[in-house]
Amino acid sequence: MVRLSSFLLKTYHGGHIVIRLAMAGHKQSNRPFYRIVAAYNKRARDSKYIEQLGSYDPLPNIYNEKLVSFNSDRIKYWMGCGAHPTKPVAKLLGLAGFFPLHPMTVTEAERRRAMAEQAEGAAPEEVVKQQEL
Amino acid sequence: LSLMALRLRLKNSFCHSFDAPVLTSSISEVINLFLGSPDAHVKPQFLDSEVQDILTRITGLNLEKVFRPIKQELKPPKYKLMTDAQLEEATQSAREQAQRLLKMPPVLPERKPINDVLSEDKILEGMDTAKYVFTDITFNIPHRERFIVIREPTGTLRKASWEERDRILQVYFPKEGRRLTAPPVFKEENLKVVFGQDRHEDMLDLCQVQFEPDSSEYIRVHAATYEDLEKMGKYDLLRSTRHFGGLVWYLVNARRVDGLMIDMLQKDLLQDAVSLVGLFNKVHPHSETAQEASSQQAYGLDLLKIYAKRESQRAGYVELALQAYEQTSAESTV
Repeated sequence: MVRLSSFLLKTYHGGHIVIRLAMAGHKQSNRPFYRIVAAYNKRARDSKYIEQLGSYDPLPNIYNEKLVSFNSDRIKYWMGCGAHPTKPVAKLLGLAGFFPLHPMTVTEAERRRAMAEQAEGAAPEEVVKQQEL
Repeated sequence: LSLMALRLRLKNSFCHSFDAPVLTSSISEVINLFLGSPDAHVKPQFLDSEVQDILTRITGLNLEKVFRPIKQELKPPKYKLMTDAQLEEATQSAREQAQRLLKMPPVLPERKPINDVLSEDKILEGMDTAKYVFTDITFNIPHRERFIVIREPTGTLRKASWEERDRILQVYFPKEGRRLTAPPVFKEENLKVVFGQDRHEDMLDLCQVQFEPDSSEYIRVHAATYEDLEKMGKYDLLRSTRHFGGLVWYLVNARRVDGLMIDMLQKDLLQDAVSLVGLFNKVHPHSETAQEASSQQAYGLDLLKIYAKRESQRAGYVELALQAYEQTSAESTV
């Protein structure tokens, strides 16, 4: 498939640019940390990128916050050059209000609520059963 | 005056640039233009040029105190051989540097809390157990205009409150000396201990580094420091520092200038005392002192006498000090 966005770039690389999450930090620790990055599509996930546009910390801190930062100015530039955001990046930016809300975010929220209700429905039944026993 | 101390101070001075917007030289003049009539009085603000002039004059310029050695890593001293003319130049540049170091930090009204909700999405409820904090890291925006929004687990997208903003800006754009959580020195009990050790100036410097000028913590700590200084009468601690203007402004607004007045008279600083009363009259023009002074066109010692008669709560002390000053000046001239 010929991606027309490649022709908007200054040099032709034979691939297109994506805005995606790349894992930063060293792979030994049990501590993921992502960078929001503009990179060529064919490159490895963590290898050389064109520009770093922000960061995302998936583990919440002591105030129960997940810190996300993004450089809106540069993201607009790269989107103008024809970069494609990946699904997780689109979800994050949708939650931020920078993009419209991603439909999968809504679906995931609904699924979580269904699971939570099922768990609540199961737990009182178990309690009742134990009492009977 | 040691050049070494000068050099070290220049290198390691905490020159924090304040993000307050650029204000005209006299805000009251601008407001007067808007109000139309020049008679309608607008309260002089801290940053008016006249007020700042008076406050800088009262602060004084004690070079020895401004450039006293601050705690830094030990380096061997550097000695320079200079002619008299070069020494003059060095002293002059030291004076200019001291004036820059004595630039007063702004006194701003307390900031109003932010309660903006950008969107309420009930469909997103229960999407996650943690909040998401989104910061815009674009380089060229001033910190006050940056977008910092929070998506709660309930689905509401709201702007971050001031305390959260300060913390998050410190994460992404760290300022030297500022910590993410305020040091426990700023609690009431610990403040008292520090004041007992006479370290008000260090306290105020630390407060300057840690908090924004219009945050409630900053105002609270400054108020506590000024109260303690006024109670103990230790105005000399702040005399040649950049916090003196703030102290005087606080006292003038609270109308409790007596202690400072007596202190000045005891130290034979007549000019300072006169400018202090002048400032008081400007800020409270409807008080008895101001009206009498304007009707009589009083200057110098007369101003002080009017103040002692009309306004001061400790009139006895002030008049005693005035008499003592007059006696000493008469003796010295005779």
